[in-house]
Amino acid sequence: MATLLACEKVNVRFGGVTACNGVSLEVEQGKIVGLIGPNGAGKTTLFNVLTRFQPQDSGHVYCAGEKIDSRKCHEMVEMGMARTFQNINLFGEQSTLDNILVGAHRLTGGPLGNILSLGAARRREKALTTRAIEIAEMLRLEDELDNAVKNLPYGYQKRVEIARALASEPKLILLDEPVAGCNDEETAELREVVRHINRDLGITMLMVEHDMSMVMGVCDHIYVINFGANLADGTPAEIRSNPEVIKAYLGEEAEAA
Amino acid sequence: MVNKNPAGSLSAPVRDRAAVATLKAKFQVQNVALVVAFFVALLLVPLIPGFKGWMASQAALVVVYILAAQGLSILTGYTGLVSVGHGGFLAIGAYTAALLVKHANADIVLSLIAGAAMAGVIGMLMALVFLRLAGPFLAIGTLGFAFFVGTVVNNVKFFEGREGISVPANHALGLPVGDIGFYYISIILLALVTLFIYSLVRSSVGRALKGLRDAEKAAQSCGVNRLLYRTLAFTISAAITGLAGALSALTTRYVSAEVFGDIWYSVDFLVAAVVGGSAMLMGPIVGGIFVAMLPFFLEKLADFAFILKGVALIAVLMFAPAGVCDVIARPFRAWRRRRLERAAAGEEPVRREPPVVALEGKS
Repeated sequence: MATLLACEKVNVRFGGVTACNGVSLEVEQGKIVGLIGPNGAGKTTLFNVLTRFQPQDSGHVYCAGEKIDSRKCHEMVEMGMARTFQNINLFGEQSTLDNILVGAHRLTGGPLGNILSLGAARRREKALTTRAIEIAEMLRLEDELDNAVKNLPYGYQKRVEIARALASEPKLILLDEPVAGCNDEETAELREVVRHINRDLGITMLMVEHDMSMVMGVCDHIYVINFGANLADGTPAEIRSNPEVIKAYLGEEAEAA
Repeated sequence: MVNKNPAGSLSAPVRDRAAVATLKAKFQVQNVALVVAFFVALLLVPLIPGFKGWMASQAALVVVYILAAQGLSILTGYTGLVSVGHGGFLAIGAYTAALLVKHANADIVLSLIAGAAMAGVIGMLMALVFLRLAGPFLAIGTLGFAFFVGTVVNNVKFFEGREGISVPANHALGLPVGDIGFYYISIILLALVTLFIYSLVRSSVGRALKGLRDAEKAAQSCGVNRLLYRTLAFTISAAITGLAGALSALTTRYVSAEVFGDIWYSVDFLVAAVVGGSAMLMGPIVGGIFVAMLPFFLEKLADFAFILKGVALIAVLMFAPAGVCDVIARPFRAWRRRRLERAAAGEEPVRREPPVVALEGKS
C-alpha cells in the first residue's frame, strides 16, 4: 500500500512552548487513521502542519510522495487534500449549495471566464452544480440546498463541512474532531458517513478525535501522541490495551490502583 | 439553537419539490423583469416633455456617484474590505480621460475604457501594498492614497492644478454626443456595470470572495488563493470607480484639483455603499442616489449635507447594518419564503407548464 500522507520528525515551538516535538506519522492509502492524545498533546498543531496552515520549525511533510514543506494552505486541495474544521467553519450567510460549490473551487477554472460567464465556464458551473446536488443528496442535505447554513442545526452543519470537503474530489480528507459537540445520534450518523466515504468512495482519512467510540469504531490504525511526541501506534485493539496509552490518559495512579 | 425554520427545512420535509422549483424560477423571472423595467424606464426619461439638457447632465452626475459606490461595494460588500480612498481612483479615471481628450482628441468610448483601465492597473498595484494591511490599517492606508492623489493633482504642473483641464469631448464611435447623449451613455454604463456585478457575484469568483469574507481559513482550505482573489477584487473595484471618474470628467467637460483633489469623495462613496447596502445589487444604486441628491433637496442648507450623511451612516450601522435596501427587501423576502414553505408543503397552487420538454425529448 502506498503512503498518501506522512510527516517526519516535525517540530513546532510557540515561544517557550513545544507543541510538536519530533512527531512522525504515516497515512496509508485507503485507510482511516486516527490521531489521538490527551489535551494539549499537539494534535491540532500537527493537523495544521499537515494541512499547511502552520509552518513547522523543522521536519518534513510529504503528500503523495512529494515533499510539501513549502506549499501554501490553498495549494493543498490541488494535491488531493481536503479538510474540515473543529469548530464549524462554514460560510454562514451563503446557502448549502454555495458552500458545497466553494468546496469545488479548484475545479472551476480561471476567474475571468467565470466572471463573464463564458460558455465553457457556464457548462462547467452546470456540471459542478449537478455534482454538488449529488453530494448533498448523499449526505441527506437535499432539502437544505437553498437555505443559509447559519440557520441549520449543528449536525447538519457538520455534514455540510464534509460535503464541502468532498466537492473538491479529494483523495484524502483530514477531519478535525468531526463529532465534537454532537449528541449520540449525530455521532452515530457521522460514523456511518465517514465509513461510507472511505469504503464506497475510496477516500483515505485522517481524523483527530476525542470521542473514543468514533475513533475505535471506524479507524484502521491509530496514532497516539503525548507532549508533542509519538507515544504509540497500532490497531484499535492494540491501542486499547497499551499500558503507555492508558497511563497517558488516566495518569500514574490509575496504573498503581 | 435554530432560530427559524426556513423554507423546506427540517421539521417539514419537502413534499412537492416540483412546486418549489417552479416557484423559485418564477421569483427569478420577477427579479430580472424588475431590473429590466427599471433600466427601460431610465432610458425613456428623456422623452418626457420638459426634460432639459441640464437635467441630463445632472442625472449623469448621479450615475457617477452610483458607479463609484458600485465599484466600492465590491470591496465593502462582497470582499469584506474597507477602502476610504476610492476618491483617488475616481481622480485617476477622470484625469486619464481628460488628458486623452486634451492631447489626443480621443473618442468618448476610448476615454471611458482608458480611465477604467488606468484606475484598474493602479488599483492592482496598490492592492499589493494595501492587502498587507488589515482592518483599520487598511482604511488608513487607503485614505493616505486619496491624499496622495489629491496632492499630486494639486501640485504637479502636468495636471494643471486648480486651473483645471477642459475636456471638449463630443463624439462617441464617430457619432456626435450632447447632454442627452451623455445621459444615455451613463445609463448604458450603469446597466453594464450592474450586469457585470450581478454576474461576478453569482460566479465562482463571487462565491470565493464571499467565502474569504465569511471564513477565511475555510475558503483557503478549498483552494481559494487569498492574495490573488483579493487583488482581483481590488482591481475590479478600482476600475469601476475609475470608469465613474472618466464619465464625470466627460460629462462636466472639466477636471480640476479643486474637485478631484478633494478626499471627501472617498467618504461620500463609502456612505453611499454602506447606507444603501453594499452586499446587494440595488444597494449602491439607492445609496448613490441618496448621497448625490442630498444637496439638491437641502437647497440652501446644503452645508448640512455632511451632517446628514454622517447621521445616516451611523443610524444604518446601528440599526440596519446590511443597508436600507435590505430593510426594504425584508418583507418581500418574508412573503416569498412563506410562499415557498407553502409550496414545499404542497399547499401552494402552482400553475404547471404542460410537459413540452418531455415530448420534445422523445421525438
